[in-house]
Amino acid sequence: MRSTGERIAEFAAGTLTAIVFIILYAPLIIGVLFSVVQIRQGRILWETFSVSPYVTLWSNQSVLSALSNTAIVALASVVIASVLAILLALYTEWEGAIGRRFIELVIYLPFLLPPIVTGLSLLVSSAQLGINRGLLTIVVGHTVFVLAVAYRLVLTRLQALPKSLVEASFDLGAGRWQTLRYVLMPHLASAVMTGAVLALTLSFDETLISTFVAGDQMTLPLRLWAMMRVGFTPEINALVTLVLLVSIAFALIAAWRLRPKGEVEED
Amino acid sequence: MALELNEVSKRYGATTVLQPLSLEVANGEFLTLLGPSGSGKTTVLRLIGGFTAPSGGRIIFDGDDITAMPANRRPFNTVFQDYALFPHMTVAQNAGYGPLVQRRNGPEARKLVDETLEIVGLSALRDRYPSQLSGGQKQRVALARAIVCEPKLILLDEPLAALDASLRRQMQVFLKQIQRRIETTFVFVTHDQDEAITMSDRIVVMSQGRIEQVGTPKDLYYRPQTRFVAGFFGDNNLIEGVVAASGDRVETRLGNFPLAAPAAGGCKVLMGVRPEAMRIGEGAIAIPADVEEVMFGGAMTRVLLHAVAAPATKFDVRLAGDGRGQALAAGDRVCVSFDPADAVIVAD
Repeated sequence: MRSTGERIAEFAAGTLTAIVFIILYAPLIIGVLFSVVQIRQGRILWETFSVSPYVTLWSNQSVLSALSNTAIVALASVVIASVLAILLALYTEWEGAIGRRFIELVIYLPFLLPPIVTGLSLLVSSAQLGINRGLLTIVVGHTVFVLAVAYRLVLTRLQALPKSLVEASFDLGAGRWQTLRYVLMPHLASAVMTGAVLALTLSFDETLISTFVAGDQMTLPLRLWAMMRVGFTPEINALVTLVLLVSIAFALIAAWRLRPKGEVEED
Repeated sequence: MALELNEVSKRYGATTVLQPLSLEVANGEFLTLLGPSGSGKTTVLRLIGGFTAPSGGRIIFDGDDITAMPANRRPFNTVFQDYALFPHMTVAQNAGYGPLVQRRNGPEARKLVDETLEIVGLSALRDRYPSQLSGGQKQRVALARAIVCEPKLILLDEPLAALDASLRRQMQVFLKQIQRRIETTFVFVTHDQDEAITMSDRIVVMSQGRIEQVGTPKDLYYRPQTRFVAGFFGDNNLIEGVVAASGDRVETRLGNFPLAAPAAGGCKVLMGVRPEAMRIGEGAIAIPADVEEVMFGGAMTRVLLHAVAAPATKFDVRLAGDGRGQALAAGDRVCVSFDPADAVIVAD
């Protein structure tokens, strides 16, 4: 039998959790709601239900070009970061690696520093180097930002690989490339994929670094920001809803891939 | 000689894990490196395999210096202690890895893999993944993978250590049969002296990074040359003493014992007597001792005792069958005796 005290504690904990969730998620739900119905004087006007903001969005050329920019930036930076992550992890795990700690610091720093610092330094350096700001600089900015995540995942997987597998491969006559192709890559593939999905999520809604290095190009979050300055319209809510849904989808895929697995391969 | 280690040594920084040692391995031989952990036996195996570079000395194979040759060029294959099977490949793919990376494709290579799986008895499991295999089956895959390329030398790093006792005995017989069938030199590492005795043509006993003694199992069992080997093999009972000036007997704290063969007077020696050569009762040499423990073991009854004159000197006596051992009980005062001809004398 549970005591009254325990019941009260349980109730209090439950209520508190509910309140936290409501505070966190209510604005999101309201935003989603606002994209399809109108609200006047605190009352939801259900009869105004319409998906027209989404249709308007679809015919809005500047939103579509921002969307395509975001996709290009995300794919390019994720591919570059994944390749770099594999190369760097292989190098830092190699026993002859020089400056391992320094390399890791360089990889992790842009992720840990406030994005405003990363963004500003990229802005200054691209200006100094005479590089025009645009998609290229956004890709560079996102790559240095997401590299840490991709690298960490690849490195962890690489460290879990028994050293004897690599030795066995050499022992049977394989060279470095054959060992990479037949033994290391199959082992790393799923970690690279998970890293890529996480990096996509990060790149998709990255705003601050993009603000500094975008020049006259727009990514989706930047477009959203620009739209909000001229007035709060249902289209904005529609766009927020779309960004939200895509982010959640990526996050769910990443979480599903990262879930602890019961049993991997043991005797 | 197929393989020759010439004054090969290994240091890590200031730590010497292997004193300069020389060793020859004959073609078709089953050679065992035996020693406790930290004795350097696995280091020797890794030096031969090419996974570790020696700090000094040379490794010669069939007359060629292979000291600097990388592992993937050496005509040797290894069975690793943890098997090191590729988890994402099937049994057949694991076995076919050597031919694959050596670009030997086509029907010939496939036939080779099939034949090898047949030899190790895994044809039926060829499409399984390592995670779906038992320990003994994994062991066979590792062996198949190592022998498929017909190496000149097979290196085995404690391959049976992870198996339970009965499976280990089966695999011992199996390994011996395979070795005879493919007529290849085996260099086998183990810390288990029974395994070494039953399987090897020759045994290299190692301790603290150096070779203690090299010989056939019988050599080591009946004629140990160092205290370490005498203690490691057959649980010899060891009695410390000094050879008398006359050279015909050993003076010990337990009395003076005659020597079967004369020795140089004044030498510090150990008398070693195997447990099954010791008896309980009066004899030419009789040492009063107290029984500590009597353990019935089926074919043998094991009696543990200590000398009355020097309680630190322990005796381990094995009596055939239930014999008189059954009548003994802890605390009994008896005499242990042995024939001087059964004692080995080891310089101490």
